[in-house]
Parts: sequence; C-alpha cells; structure tokens
Amino acid sequence: MTSNIGTVARAMTGFGNSAIGSAFGSWLGKIAGGFLVLLVLTAIFAPWITPFDYAAQNLMNSNAAPGWPHLLGTDQFGRDVLSRVIYGARTSLSVSATAIAISISVGMTLGAAAGYFGGFFERAVMTVVDLTWSFPDILIALIFVATIGPGLTSTTFAIAIAYLAQFTRLTRAQIVRLKRETFIEATINLGAKPRHILQYHLLPNAIAPVIVVGMLAIGDGIVLEATLGFFGLGAQPPTPSWGAMMSSGTAQLFLSPWVIIFPGVVVAVTVVAVNLFGDELIRALNIRDRIRGA
Amino acid sequence: MTNLLEVRNLSKKFVTPGGPFRKARAMHAVNDVSFDLAKGRVIGVVGESGCGKSTLARLILRLIEPSAGELRFEGEDLRAKTSSQMRKLRADMQMVFQDPYSAIDPRYTVARAVMEPFVVQGRSPEGSVDKEVASLLTMVGLNAGLASSFPHQISGGQKQRVGIARALALRPSLLVLDEPTASLDVSVQAQIISLLEQLRDDLGLTYLFISHDLSLVRYFCDEILVMYLGRVVEALPDTDLPARHPYTKTLMDSTFTPDPKQRRVIAPLEGEVPSPFNLPPGCAFADRCPYTTAICRTETPILTSGTTHPVACHHPL
Repeated sequence: MTSNIGTVARAMTGFGNSAIGSAFGSWLGKIAGGFLVLLVLTAIFAPWITPFDYAAQNLMNSNAAPGWPHLLGTDQFGRDVLSRVIYGARTSLSVSATAIAISISVGMTLGAAAGYFGGFFERAVMTVVDLTWSFPDILIALIFVATIGPGLTSTTFAIAIAYLAQFTRLTRAQIVRLKRETFIEATINLGAKPRHILQYHLLPNAIAPVIVVGMLAIGDGIVLEATLGFFGLGAQPPTPSWGAMMSSGTAQLFLSPWVIIFPGVVVAVTVVAVNLFGDELIRALNIRDRIRGA
Repeated sequence: MTNLLEVRNLSKKFVTPGGPFRKARAMHAVNDVSFDLAKGRVIGVVGESGCGKSTLARLILRLIEPSAGELRFEGEDLRAKTSSQMRKLRADMQMVFQDPYSAIDPRYTVARAVMEPFVVQGRSPEGSVDKEVASLLTMVGLNAGLASSFPHQISGGQKQRVGIARALALRPSLLVLDEPTASLDVSVQAQIISLLEQLRDDLGLTYLFISHDLSLVRYFCDEILVMYLGRVVEALPDTDLPARHPYTKTLMDSTFTPDPKQRRVIAPLEGEVPSPFNLPPGCAFADRCPYTTAICRTETPILTSGTTHPVACHHPL
C-alpha cells in the first residue's frame, strides 16, 4: 500500500512540478490561476472574511444599493449580497468538485477496465455510459430531484452522471492507445499481472489528460449547479448558491439589479478563469491531441 | 547437447470476424513451423517484413496464443501451463524488442525500469537495490550514473542497452531478440551485436535472433531458418552452407560484399509477396521464382525431414 501511495505521489509531483508551474508561466495563466487560488481561499475562509452573517435578515434595509456597509448591496430580505456571494463560492466549488471527483473515480475505473479487457465487457460498459450522454443534464437532475428530492445531493449526483461518459471515454481512449506500446508487452513478458500493468503503467500514463479535463469540467459543473439552483432544484433556502441568488433576484430585476448581477458576474468570471487555466495546463502538458480523442 | 526449446508444427491463424456485410477472412501468420534450439546455440530467423518472424517470437513466448502445435521449454510443455505458472516461467525466457524508444515506460527512471522484473516476480536482488542496478548497467556497458535518468534523456542505443539489462535482470536461459538493432544507427548496431555476443559467452545464454538482415544473421548465428509467408522454407544447420531454396539464394545474392572487385549483377525479385489472406494452393513463392513448373502451382512443398539441411522446394538447388 505504501508503494501504491508512492506511485500516486510521484505521479502527482511530476505533474505538479512541470505542468502547474508551467501553466502559471504565462500572464494569462497567472491571472486565471491567481483568481482561482483566491476564490478557493475565499471559500475556505468564508466565515472569517464575510462582513455579515449570510442568513441574517434585515427587512428595514432590503434592496439597499451597493455602498457602505453593504458593498454589493442587499437583497429583498436585507441580506448582505457580498457575504452570500462568498458563501455561494463554498457551495458552488464544493458541489462541483465533489461531483467531478466522483465522476473521475467511477469514469476512470470503468474506462480503464473497458479499455484494458476489451471485448463484450468493453461494449457493454461503453453502451451504458454513452446512454447517459443522450440525456440532457437537466433531465438527469430532474430524475434525481424526483427520486430523492431537491437539494445539493441531487445536484451532486446529477453533475457526476452528466460528466461520467466524458471521463470514461477519455480514460478508455488513453488505455487503448497505451496498451499497444512496447513497454506494456515487455512488462507482460516479465510475468506481470493485469493489476500491475494497470496500476503502475497504464493509469499513471493516462492520468494527466483526465486531470485537465476534470479541471475544465469543474467549470461546467459550476454552471450546471447554478442552473439547477436557478430553477429551484439545487440548493434550498437559506443555503446561499449563485444560481439560487440569481433566481431570487429576477423578481426585482429592475428594482435591485445588483442582486442578480453580482452572482452572475462571479459565475461568468469563474468559468472563464477555469477554462483559461485549463487551456494553459493543456499547453503546458502538451496533450491537446490526446484530449481531442475523447 | 540438450534442447532448451522444441517447437513442433507451430501455427497461428488470425481470423478477422465476419459480419452481415463481410466475409470472415483467415490469415496464416505462422504455418507449421518446427525446429529445435539447443542450449547455448543461436538460431537466426530471417525473412522479409510480414513473413511472420515477429509473430513466431511472440508465439514461442506465448504473448500470442498459438492456434496449433507444440512448445517445449526445458522439456516442459509450455502450452499446458496455466497463466500463473506461465507468469513464473517468464523469468526464464525474456525478449529484447525492436523499438527501444517505446520499450521503456516514459515515466520510469532507468533504475526503476531495470528493477521492475524483481518487483513483478516478487523477488529481491541478492545485494542492495542500488548495487544490483549498478551491476546490471555495468553488465550492458552503461555508466551506473545513468540510473536516475529518464528514457527521453538517453540515446536509442542506451535505451536498447537498458532493454537488454531489463531482460537479463532475472538471469533467463532463453533470450528472444526481435530485430534488436533494426531501429538503431549502423555504428550503434555493431556495439549492440558485440554486447550480445559477449553476454552470450559470459552468461551462457541461448538466443533466438530475428532479423531481416541476412548478412547480420550469418555473422551472428549458428543456424538459420529462412521464412517466407509464415512457413520455414529452408533450415541451414550452418551459416556457411550454400542456399538450396531459390528464395534463400536470392536473399544471399542480394547482400553486398565489401570488396569492390567482387561486383556482380544483382537479380532483383520480380513481383510482390502474395496476400497472406486466402493463399492460392501450391508454393507461395511460385509467382516470383525462376524455376517454377506446373507442380509448384498445385502442390505445397513440405520441408524435407530427416536431412541435415531441410528445404521446402520442389526443385531445390
């Protein structure tokens, strides 16, 4: 087990040293990556940096325009928009990252097994996985909402399933390509078991594009989380979520536009930053052709 | 002299699956190949690309499952082994691959690559790991300082030496060399060949050497098998013997000699190798052979048995 952790750690440090460092090399990477680091730190330290309690209502001060002390104004219940946007980062990032983590672990396992063993098993797995791709994301979310009720759990599962096919296909494509390399045949000829081949050769060589696509998918996951929140299928009040905030802001769009504008701007900037940084990572790792294959 | 490896009537038929809109097609990559490899000997297998040499190597190591035939390694029936018995046995029969550039995992250091055989077989080296790495690298003529290098940091010849060190780490008795010099520069080829010669003498190895370069095979090997479209057409027990099969004769005539006074006309082969799918009856070489008669087109010649110099030809030279 220790050697197993060692392999993963080595793969990650190798990935980290060369690629993330190099992605931060360009000015675009610096800006996008810097914003993302700031956003993650904000989400982690939300309780210490929010000026107000995100749930505290003050009906005497509802729909206040941006200014002092409410920098981004207040909503129709007089809650501080800035505090809610900061807490919303927690919801959005954690839901999206959890969902993509589930998606990657399941997708990589399925894709690696399908690509390695091939045959009927591969066909069965890929057909089922491709089927999930034929459902619109919102429909998948509705199925979960209908069965386990609206909330962040439904949202997480819906996002995880929406991106499952992508990771399964990407991993399978990597494994099928790597399987033909001479070093795999050479290792089989040393007497290695399939588990050894997968764990120490195929997966470590396949992981880089999966991580990058996972990074880009977190951006998409944030949008999907916001969409579901907007429709009232995601985060339920009083949990702050960028999508739900925008949804509640539609009622007074002309009276207090800041309630809808600020969460919207944050969603847009986050997604652009994620995509730009993802592009920089792809460039740094030089894996553009391998990602297109999926 | 005991036989390390006995191959009898080994065949491999690849079948492309048929469907509603296409017929299933069969291709005999290796057809009825038999030979003995004695301990300490070097057998060369020559033939042009696509004749089944590499498939033969993989069949012998059971990297591809044979369709028919027998394989005996140190007197034991290889085809009867279960996959876990086979995994253990692989320590005794190793292979050096044609393309050194992809024969090492790009994420592995040289040290990790040459120690992987021990990890896979669950063994530990006699001394320390560092010592074993150093002695393996020294054995193949590499500087022990390369141990921490990655494959992209070393040359093709160095990579091939790492491949040889990896194959020899568990001290196998049989080494299958699948065109080990084909993708290297000529000067490096010579170094690898002399390294292989020296290792054979030092470690008492037995080689199955696969190549398309007849002059290299004649220099390096004790015996030669000439393959054409999956069949052995001639088995030369000694490399100095004159060819008896017209195909071998053409191959021998087309090698160059370094003496400019020995200039001679090279008669290139006419025609193409027939498609290995749905082979016509008769000798596969009939279309290109200058001695073809009616019988060559109807009856497949069989390798003569019981002679010291078997040949599969209706009109041997």
